[in-house]
Amino acid sequence: MKRILVNSFVIAMLAALLVTGAALAQDKYPSKPVSGIVPASAGGSTDLMSRALEKVWPKYSPQPLVVVNKPGGAGVVATEFVVRSKPDGYTLYLGYGSGHDIVMPHLQKMPYDPYKDLIPIARVSVHSVVVVTGAKSEFNSLPGMIAWAKKENKPITTSVSMKAGAQDITITAIAKAAGVNIVTVPFAGGADAVTALAGGHVMLGAGHPSEVAPHIKAGRFKPLAIALPERDPSMPDIPTLKEQGINVSTWGSVKGVGAPAGTPKEVVEYLEATLRKICEDPEFKKTMADLNQPVMYLNGADFAKFLQEAHADYGKLIKDLNITIQ
Amino acid sequence: MSIFDGIISGFGIALTPMNLLFGFLGALIGTAVGVLPGLGPAATIALLLPITYSIPSPVPAVILMAGIYYGAMYGGSTTSVLLNLPGEAASVVTCIDGYKMAQQGRAGAALGIAAIGSFVAGTVAVVGLTLFAPPIAEFALGFGPPEKFALALLGLLMAVTLSGDSVVKGLIIMVLGLLFGTVGIDPISGKSRFDFGVTELQSGFDFVTLAVGVFGLGEIFYNLEQQGAAEIVTTKVGQVFPKMADWTKARMAILRGTLVGFFIGIIPGGGAVIASLVSYAVEKKVSKHPEEFGQGAIEGVAGPESANNAASSASFIPLLTLGIPSNASIAMIFACLLIKGVTPGPFLIVEHADVFWGVIASMYIGNVMLIILNLPLVGIWVQLLRVPYSILAPVVILFTMIGSYSIANQAFDLYTLIAFGVLGYALRKLKFEAGPLPLAFILGPMIEGAMRQSLLMSGGSFSIFFTRPISLTIVALFALFVVGQIFVSVRRSSR
Repeated sequence: MKRILVNSFVIAMLAALLVTGAALAQDKYPSKPVSGIVPASAGGSTDLMSRALEKVWPKYSPQPLVVVNKPGGAGVVATEFVVRSKPDGYTLYLGYGSGHDIVMPHLQKMPYDPYKDLIPIARVSVHSVVVVTGAKSEFNSLPGMIAWAKKENKPITTSVSMKAGAQDITITAIAKAAGVNIVTVPFAGGADAVTALAGGHVMLGAGHPSEVAPHIKAGRFKPLAIALPERDPSMPDIPTLKEQGINVSTWGSVKGVGAPAGTPKEVVEYLEATLRKICEDPEFKKTMADLNQPVMYLNGADFAKFLQEAHADYGKLIKDLNITIQ
Repeated sequence: MSIFDGIISGFGIALTPMNLLFGFLGALIGTAVGVLPGLGPAATIALLLPITYSIPSPVPAVILMAGIYYGAMYGGSTTSVLLNLPGEAASVVTCIDGYKMAQQGRAGAALGIAAIGSFVAGTVAVVGLTLFAPPIAEFALGFGPPEKFALALLGLLMAVTLSGDSVVKGLIIMVLGLLFGTVGIDPISGKSRFDFGVTELQSGFDFVTLAVGVFGLGEIFYNLEQQGAAEIVTTKVGQVFPKMADWTKARMAILRGTLVGFFIGIIPGGGAVIASLVSYAVEKKVSKHPEEFGQGAIEGVAGPESANNAASSASFIPLLTLGIPSNASIAMIFACLLIKGVTPGPFLIVEHADVFWGVIASMYIGNVMLIILNLPLVGIWVQLLRVPYSILAPVVILFTMIGSYSIANQAFDLYTLIAFGVLGYALRKLKFEAGPLPLAFILGPMIEGAMRQSLLMSGGSFSIFFTRPISLTIVALFALFVVGQIFVSVRRSSR
């Protein structure tokens, strides 16, 4: 009887050890695939960046990154999903810093706080805004076009991919800084906006490098300016607006990685280190260069600061330009 | 790239094992759904849309969908001839003379001529697509917002008035589609409309969910009620290769059907259904023996079956060059391209030459596969009519659910899917033609956006629609069409 008791005790202990052992092993992050939530459908610029991350990720982590597309609500659906998910490092937000994080909160009420409810892990890339005109346009520079509009007292029609997006804000800021009338015509996405410019239906256009680069290469567009404080490393030949005497610079579209608030510190540090290694990886850099997306890594702390500044600056810009979505 | 280089590279793409497989699958599934009454190409493409998410490249995805669309035009005649039930909508008129022929013991001749006519028309139309699409694409850059507005409006109106038998019912469905299309973020002002505080609705209803629900689920629900309705008259098909006398009679009908179908396929709002109806009318008119129609005239099978094939291939022209879908099936292929990150429009031929030429080349191959599937193997398809619906339906519903959920990984889409399924069932029950619904859903935002963009460009003046030559032409056609319709209905009611 006693032996049976002892035996069962020993077995129970062993079982307990096994279970805790397994649990301990599981505690070592990452022990299962990590989901990367993309707030856009497949094929968009954020998705392409995420696929590039997904491809290189296994080189630096024992568990794969699995990209999950959650389009909808201009990105809000996906971000809210990440905010409400378990903060264990297995659900990440890819594309942190997009328009719905740094611009939209100034224009409408959000179902979460894009800064308090998320931890910035790292910045991966910044997509600049390139100001372009059609190849057949009589203007070869933005100041030239502005001078014409002032002299003739005519509006400059401009196609942008969406209302109150980074491009719309940039163009509206140019109008204010230069003191000319620019009418922004919003289209349903970058491709349609670009087609309207190529057809000569509008005078000016703006787009992310990945959207306009193929047309610049094919000789359909003339690039006029980059709307960042400094030149875009993916298109170093194009001067900034400030270089041309137009006092406008924006933050472009920021693409980073975030995790829900409450994610353990060591997990965040692990992810930050992994992303740094990926951003230094030649294969990743090559893929991103092919996509016209410059790799611009920032660590978590710097990225957080960058986001705060970008957010505050867009707020000021939107207020100055009186942009609303009524 | 010249047309010749283009089509050669296209064959290089279409002949890769993966694309051949998808082309074959398309032809196979297309024939199957063409044969099965109730399930049409639009419903099938809708049901398969979610699957395209997991196909890595847009080329095989579109090859598959295109194969289903024109493949169904082949299969549709089988059911029309043998069951006096259209396998799909574009084979309605084939029932009239095809079924009569079957009763006279000439089912084989009817099926044979339908398949040959389909092959000739399909191939000729693809040649037309190859030759005409590239110049149209070049011309298409001239289509700015005002032209897009006018053309999309014309297309929508024509689709609505020509698709069903009741214009009023068509208009009701159109308005419903337009309303669903307004949900979500207004593209011009950026304001979210009709979202009722639901975050998922801010991006509007998902097209796939809407199409799968209304077409796929709705049709399945409806068919579940129709158990045992269909009885095969004859499973004896007999000789399918036409006799010399039949061939002499039918060959001009095939030619005329091809031409009629091709031109109706190009115009917005046109498509296989209208093409087959017009072709039947034409055949009856030019025939020296119009009294034979309705009594088993082979021209009445050959003409419409050729026309619907020519039209289905030709309707790819406005899609691939202007980015404007002209009917429900093409609207779904439009959505499929968008899902794969390809924006249909003038740049498609340049930026996605692989899609453009690969798909066109696959249509040549597809037509060859289809003639083999439908001529010597027609007996096998007849057996398909014996699969009990009680097995088919649950399997299809299950896959629909999985597919819809996988698009955005949210349960919300399942609720809207079921709601749209119930709507689709109700529409069928109330004898509404659901075709204009997905078309209005896609064209509505296009029309609204293009109109407001035009007005922004012109500083608020409506003159922009009348001062640009292309836009003016389309507006004039639109006016002509409306006046014509009113004239016709006034004359009809005064009679």
